[in-house]
Amino acid sequence: MKPRTAALAWPVSATYAGLAVVLVVVMAMSLTLGYRIYSLDQVYRALFAFDGTDTSVIIANLRLPRAVVAPMVGAALGIAGVLVQTLSRNRIASPDTLGLNAGASLFVVMASSVLGVSSLMGLSFAAALGALGAALLVFGIAATAGGLSPLRIVLIGVTFAGLGHSVVEVVLTTNEAQMQQLLFWLSGAFVDRPLALAANGAPFMIVGGLVALVLSRALDALQADDSTAASLGVPLFIVRGAAFLSVSLLTGASVAMAGPVGFVGLVVPHAARWLVGLRHSRQIVAAALIGAIYATAADVAARFVIYPIEAPVGAVTAVVGGAMLLILLKRRAA
Amino acid sequence: MTDDRTHRIAVRDLTLAYGQTRVLDALTLPIAPGKITVLAGPNGCGKSTLLRAIRRLLKGTAGQVLLDDVDIAKMSGKDLALKIGLLAQNPSAPGDMSVEELVRLGRYPHQTMMQPWSPRDAEAVERAMAGTGVAELRTRPISSLSGGQLQRVWIALVLAQETDVICLDEPVNHLDIAHQLECLDLVARLNREHGRTIVLVLHDLNLAARYADELVFVREGRIAARGTPTELMSASLIGEVFGVHATIITDPVHGSPVCIPASRSSAPKAAAEKVAEAV
Repeated sequence: MKPRTAALAWPVSATYAGLAVVLVVVMAMSLTLGYRIYSLDQVYRALFAFDGTDTSVIIANLRLPRAVVAPMVGAALGIAGVLVQTLSRNRIASPDTLGLNAGASLFVVMASSVLGVSSLMGLSFAAALGALGAALLVFGIAATAGGLSPLRIVLIGVTFAGLGHSVVEVVLTTNEAQMQQLLFWLSGAFVDRPLALAANGAPFMIVGGLVALVLSRALDALQADDSTAASLGVPLFIVRGAAFLSVSLLTGASVAMAGPVGFVGLVVPHAARWLVGLRHSRQIVAAALIGAIYATAADVAARFVIYPIEAPVGAVTAVVGGAMLLILLKRRAA
Repeated sequence: MTDDRTHRIAVRDLTLAYGQTRVLDALTLPIAPGKITVLAGPNGCGKSTLLRAIRRLLKGTAGQVLLDDVDIAKMSGKDLALKIGLLAQNPSAPGDMSVEELVRLGRYPHQTMMQPWSPRDAEAVERAMAGTGVAELRTRPISSLSGGQLQRVWIALVLAQETDVICLDEPVNHLDIAHQLECLDLVARLNREHGRTIVLVLHDLNLAARYADELVFVREGRIAARGTPTELMSASLIGEVFGVHATIITDPVHGSPVCIPASRSSAPKAAAEKVAEAV
């Protein structure tokens, strides 16, 4: 995206309000549009005046969880993306390139095939642990291998991601019985996610988001080089550690809810910066809203791209995100 | 501004090593308050390391850096950031960051959780941008600036920090001669008009001699000599510290000593005598 050349002509609160309106619209679309199209009136009755009809049951049990889980996951991944890009000082970094999704997938597959875990809750917990483990491993290696240089972190992350995915492939090939269930989970989707999952993940996302907001001024300073940040009095180690904790909570909780939905964390921060500039207090709020919109819109689009069959939402975000990544690389924005 | 409002810095017996390599060797140096001190010396002599140790970006293995007689190792990071600012060598920030966003970072140590941004912060940012002449660039992304403009923006960041002591590590590197002078004039003005204590690392001896109140030659992790530029700019001392044959003349415009180093390949002696005669 083009670097901004002028300050916004309107207050940032107007931008937030605009994004909030768009979010409400896409959430309404998520409730009404799909294989069957419902009216807002039917949606209202299903949610607030439940009448037990098939329509109401479908809306309340199938559509509502998607309209709740998708924006939560999108918001969490958007914020995580902002943090990861600032921490690694790399605009093409994201939770995926750092290997967090790979770590989550690996743990899910291992939990399923080695420990025999089969409940969605159990697998989700494994996913969150995997994301956290991957974050610790990648940053641990980077820190001991001579400092948290942006390039080193991404190289280690990408290497770890490759390694993780190949182990996942091997386990899946030798374990065909579980393949169907796991493949569905591994592609990332908002379908058939019980609302209880959202309730479980929400506290982690809220804590992760709050930690990010508290760190926002230090993260602003961390956009400059380490020497500059340190001479401004930023405690580099503490801030990086806390930011990592936040990324792990946000990514872990979202992978737990919806599986690895790729590229959201890559694309959303760019849009947020373009809209509100580089201050993290603004970037984080904007990225949460944009991420929520993006994931919800992708989920709606996934219902129509190969209608009447549903595409995995991870495939939709990957197509958009992949194209965006190529454009960014071509412009050498990284 | 009088001396008692300015912080006194003293480096005492400071030893600092990277692994087995000792970069600073029991180095002792009082920094003149309210003056411009320039650290000079050959590559790898430890002058940048010394500057970074004064700001506690590096920690010594023995000895201390004292700020008003207090060991800076015992101070909080925030407290230190309110007293000593440092412009690093080759600083960097995202290219799409605006000038104002970058200068605002200088207010980091002044902000608190309860009051993240006060009118005082806004005023300090405005003053810093006005003082460095970058106010009209405020919305420009820093990637669109020239080298000289960009360096002024970085100085504005350090200014916004409002510290009494300002350290600058080779601030005129990569700048053309006009921008070198513009940058150092700005630094000198900060010192003269605001009484800030300035510690500079400079490679160019002649610029060092023109702007320094006190010149410090660092060699092999120790202070080789310190004094006024007139005292230090001697052929024998420069020969000893830098390993070059040099002729010292007086700048006819500014009155500061000028060092003319001899090339090894040419016939230096005759040429140097000629110059000395001419001046």
